[in-house]
Amino acid sequence: MVVKPRDAALAYKTLNGIVCIYKPPCVPVRRVQQMIITNLCRDLNALPDRPQEKRIEIVGATNAPMTVKLVPNYADDPLICGPRYIQDDFRCSWATHLGLFTSGVLLLGINDGTRLTYHINVARPTRAYKVHGQLGKATDTYFWNGKTVERSTFSHVTREKIDRIVAHMQLAHQKTMFELSGLHMDSQATYELASQGVIRPANNKLPVIYGLKCVHFDPPNFTLEVQAVNEYEKYLWTLVHDLGIQLKTSAYCTGLQCIRQGKFDLELALLRKHWKIEYLIDNMDRCRQILEENETLLRPKSAHLSV
Amino acid sequence: MRCTLLKRFSVSKAINNARRYHSPDYNFDLTNHNLSVQQEQKNALQRTSEDLSIITSYFPKSFNFAAYVNSSNTLQTLLHLNVNLSKIEKKPFVAEKILKLNFEEENTKEILLFIKDYVGVEYIGHFLTKNPLILFETAEDLKIRVNYLESKKFQNESIRKIITQNPFWLMFSTIRIDKRLGYYQEKFKLCGSEVRYLATKQPNLITYNLHHIQTNSFVIKEEMGFNDNEVKELILKIPKVWMINQHSLLERFNYVHNVMKIPHEKVLHYPNILLCRNFKVKQRHIFLEKLGRAQYDATKENYVPLSALIEGTDQDFCRTYAKCLVDDFNTFLKTM
Repeated sequence: MVVKPRDAALAYKTLNGIVCIYKPPCVPVRRVQQMIITNLCRDLNALPDRPQEKRIEIVGATNAPMTVKLVPNYADDPLICGPRYIQDDFRCSWATHLGLFTSGVLLLGINDGTRLTYHINVARPTRAYKVHGQLGKATDTYFWNGKTVERSTFSHVTREKIDRIVAHMQLAHQKTMFELSGLHMDSQATYELASQGVIRPANNKLPVIYGLKCVHFDPPNFTLEVQAVNEYEKYLWTLVHDLGIQLKTSAYCTGLQCIRQGKFDLELALLRKHWKIEYLIDNMDRCRQILEENETLLRPKSAHLSV
Repeated sequence: MRCTLLKRFSVSKAINNARRYHSPDYNFDLTNHNLSVQQEQKNALQRTSEDLSIITSYFPKSFNFAAYVNSSNTLQTLLHLNVNLSKIEKKPFVAEKILKLNFEEENTKEILLFIKDYVGVEYIGHFLTKNPLILFETAEDLKIRVNYLESKKFQNESIRKIITQNPFWLMFSTIRIDKRLGYYQEKFKLCGSEVRYLATKQPNLITYNLHHIQTNSFVIKEEMGFNDNEVKELILKIPKVWMINQHSLLERFNYVHNVMKIPHEKVLHYPNILLCRNFKVKQRHIFLEKLGRAQYDATKENYVPLSALIEGTDQDFCRTYAKCLVDDFNTFLKTM
């Protein structure tokens, strides 16, 4: 059960770590950060605070015995020096960026947690997406917000056909994954590397897709599940567009949802109505547990994909 | 936990108030005094039998009021009135004026009493935080402005409400207020009592940016398609619609009217739906639709009123209208 913290200073000290947030669509990540920090400040300022400071005043004529008085220090009043906690008191960073139209799991580091987000980003855990698409129409941005540039029939598309194309696409991506490792494709070293399983990319530039599957097919709508590293919003849109072309029709993306980042999944993510201090502290605790249980999340030991 | 200021303001000009002389009849300049001390005694470390408590410490330039509040009676008086000085100091030109303020003056005293009379002791702090410059008006002007309202047959109660709710009302001259009231009367074809009702219900609307009002009027009439009578009904029901951003207003109406298929009359019957952020209406509507319960027609069974979409907690909404557990709703929200 979620417990409200009793003391503002104590609560502020516990706010070091990462939180798992459910990012709504059409709200930029920066806005989400801003909202979380603003909510934290609001909740911390509402909590019971330290007592107001006192100051010592020495009054009276200097050529006679003077009196020492203990008076309240007005300069410490929140009405004078402003609220105790302001937005500049928090540092906040994301582990991996989610595009404007993507919704789903977003990892944010708060205060000392910003370091953790850096390590998570460098370790490149896979992210799983649900990509919703529609057949029969192509737009200039490959997404629902663009202008329609083409319409086509899609009655010839069946579940078998889409599965075949999707499997083919996955295979092509896995091949490029080994080509990007920098080793000669015919060497023994590459064979040994490949025999262990899939590998993670060396840099953060090129998107690599590990798994691609059609999980829902109800023409004209379909849903793909994608496991990938280094992907970005527009890349996944083009994926749907390419699929449409290979199916000899056209397709565009109608929605993107990130359902997992490493070991952090939807079940853990906090909804917008729960962006309050008590839920955030509780969530931070659960994220810390996950990080402790899976050390490879932060410091991977080999080039092979573990999470 | 310090607050930062963009621009520092100088007290050297406004120091008269902040520097407190313990003896009231001490009337020569600080610099002269230092000179005379130097002439008599050459060494600064030498002992003196004079009373030096009348010399106050040097006040350097500062970013905020906190540096002066312990030695300034003016600031302390304001603090005891619950004025949030940390908000006032964000505007350096107001802050400099506040430092120069003297509560011993007749005019300032009179204004303070006047405001206390109308606003009440508990709201005076909020009032002065919003509009500290009222203390620099003349008391006669304020009386004239209240007299104007009385001459327009505003009840005493509504005058109180207007002044409390809109601290800037009294800054407007009677001519401007008269023009504004005339503008609303003419634009929305209101009668005298309706203008009074509108001004009492939402005093901020009268002093609002007129360009904004014009834009929103255009949005409501031309883009949303309400006719003149409906516009009049809307402004008397929720004047706040004219004060929100035109794009978000249109987005909300667009969703309610074109996606949820609610006709204009229904929107007019429960206009508060235009004041609620779109994502709230959206998520509850889509949830109801998924359950097959999005039925907003009062003549059919399983009727869901529009108020259900914006009022109450999610628990209440799920129990009363969606007939499910709040956990199901949360799971649904994670698929959006």
